[in-house]
Amino acid sequence: MEIPYIVTPRKDTGLYNAKIAIWLFLASEVMLFGGFFSAYVFLRLGADYPWPERALPVLPGLINTFVLILSSVTVVFAWAALKMRQWRRFQVYMSITLVCAVIFMILKGMEYNVKFHHQAVRLKDFTVLEGHLGFEEENGTRVKDHNGHDIEENKIYVKASDLTFSTVRYHNAWVKDIIAQAEHEKSKITLSKDIKVITEPGKPAELIAKKGDALTPKLLSQIAKIHLKARAHNSDLKIAALKEEWKKAKKANPSASDVELSPNVNIDMDALAPLLEDEISAVTFNVVPAAKLQFNPRDIAEGATQSKLRDDTVINGELEPSPMVFHYVDAIDFQNLVMKAREKGIDPERAIENSWLIKNSPFAKEAWQWHLGEVAKLEQRLKDKYGVDKNNQPKRVPNDKERYRLGWKDFIEKNKVELSGFDKFKEEFLGPNYEKRGNATFMTFSLPREQVLHASKFTPAWNTYYALYFTITGLHGLHVIGGAIVLGYYLFCGRKMYLSNPEWLANRVEVGGLFWHFVDLVWIFVFPILYLM
Amino acid sequence: MANSVEEIQKAKKTYLMVFAALFACTILTYLVAEWEPLDMGGHGFDGVDATIGLLIALFKASLVALIFMHLNHEKKAVYWIFGGAFVGAAALYLLTHLAVFDPIHDTYFYDGSKPRVIQTEEAAQPAASDKAATATP
Repeated sequence: MEIPYIVTPRKDTGLYNAKIAIWLFLASEVMLFGGFFSAYVFLRLGADYPWPERALPVLPGLINTFVLILSSVTVVFAWAALKMRQWRRFQVYMSITLVCAVIFMILKGMEYNVKFHHQAVRLKDFTVLEGHLGFEEENGTRVKDHNGHDIEENKIYVKASDLTFSTVRYHNAWVKDIIAQAEHEKSKITLSKDIKVITEPGKPAELIAKKGDALTPKLLSQIAKIHLKARAHNSDLKIAALKEEWKKAKKANPSASDVELSPNVNIDMDALAPLLEDEISAVTFNVVPAAKLQFNPRDIAEGATQSKLRDDTVINGELEPSPMVFHYVDAIDFQNLVMKAREKGIDPERAIENSWLIKNSPFAKEAWQWHLGEVAKLEQRLKDKYGVDKNNQPKRVPNDKERYRLGWKDFIEKNKVELSGFDKFKEEFLGPNYEKRGNATFMTFSLPREQVLHASKFTPAWNTYYALYFTITGLHGLHVIGGAIVLGYYLFCGRKMYLSNPEWLANRVEVGGLFWHFVDLVWIFVFPILYLM
Repeated sequence: MANSVEEIQKAKKTYLMVFAALFACTILTYLVAEWEPLDMGGHGFDGVDATIGLLIALFKASLVALIFMHLNHEKKAVYWIFGGAFVGAAALYLLTHLAVFDPIHDTYFYDGSKPRVIQTEEAAQPAASDKAATATP
């Protein structure tokens, strides 16, 4: 059967099928990305923290812009080549387009990789530190954990003496991990007391598990099943009893409204008790001898003697020293602290002088003193260059980022280490070369856990800017991949269609090209908004 | 849209010119953001730089849409579809910004335990006895 309007346009719209379809699709895309840009404006204007300006490496973003512009030209040239029935040229232009897509994604991948390994931490006084965490070492070699992995110095250690699991919320993978850690520490996790429950009303209590039984996922699962069954049974009974009570109350007071009746309708729990089954909402295990267990900070709310995991597992035991150790600090940012100081009417510079970091790190103090000198030089230069206004105030002054943030380029400026041209070029993509610049440039710093307010890698968890950055660029990247697959299909599988109906292929390439141009068009806004503003 | 060989050859020249313009505009955007002599408004990034950057981006996007996507000579149906999409996007923008009227911005919404205090002008003025109390060391 011949499909109509694949080459010739319809009379009513003047367009062939695929073209009207792609425009409808692009219309939905305009609204999708429009929604994200709208969210960007909204979150930026309403941010309760200093919005990160120019936080991303500009060079990869700039190169990617050129790459996408080039690919937009080559894709339209590929279409033109097909219109002129030049198959070889079409292949060349389309191949360049696909190479551009690959370059774009490689650069994006590098950028993401850097972010995923870069650590940020907000201290309790709102100072922000950025850098790279170290790994635990003993005698110069990295210590391995129970899984044989290097241990990043960002773990919370608890000397656990007993663990109480919530039978409905426990996370199986964490249970397995805790068992493996205890084995690694040569400790045993065993049930603290017998679990004896009534599983059928009227019958005697049944022994489910004995004191001393080892913790296994199977045992927990078995207990959870009994608990859930009992809970379902008990709630059915309670609901039925409540309905019965409600009917009686309604009958006794037919004129009363539901609101008036409800406070006085209750279940007689004493009467119901013999019919109920025992629920086991939590189960406790002893750790013998007490084992030093490690947890990711995001999974635990730590306390001096009792901590709690996100799955409601309660861990009793002393909290061990769990500092966050930066192998290299590559930025110290006081902007958030300054914002908070201004809200309270405190002089920003005084707030910085009194900050925990300046008081506890001689390196940071020295760097801050050096930075104050640099800011003074900048102030003078701007005054000399742009002059003063009629009130004798400088026309241009350093902005808050220049005043209150020491970035990695500032540390490099402070402690100049000669690097080769290629190494310097690489730094524009991957950030500073810590190994070559060393600890004289980027300090090593051990941050006590109690000073940490919020810590995260540069992922969506860090702030709304990064949440938007990953959402918008991630979605855009998926569009690049999708577009490249479609264009690649025309390139590698289009020959047969070209020989049978070249105009049809030209139309398909035009439609694929329209999508590709849209991808470029979105990036034209993404680049200035996320990289330059 | 170009269909004959001559028209396509001519259009290719236009595409190359647009490519050069997009390239130049990208460099200009970068310079406005990074190069002090082109830094408009106050020192460093501010609203003026943002406006200029977005205007350049808008110009670039128009070139791509008009020339590469052939919107400069498309059929009416396409204009209706694309125009409708922009109206939709603008509506989304406005709807998002209506969130400023969301009660979540009212502290009473998330701290209902405290009684709501409506600050009146009289209440804002401290009473004479209060003033005396504060003045006493």
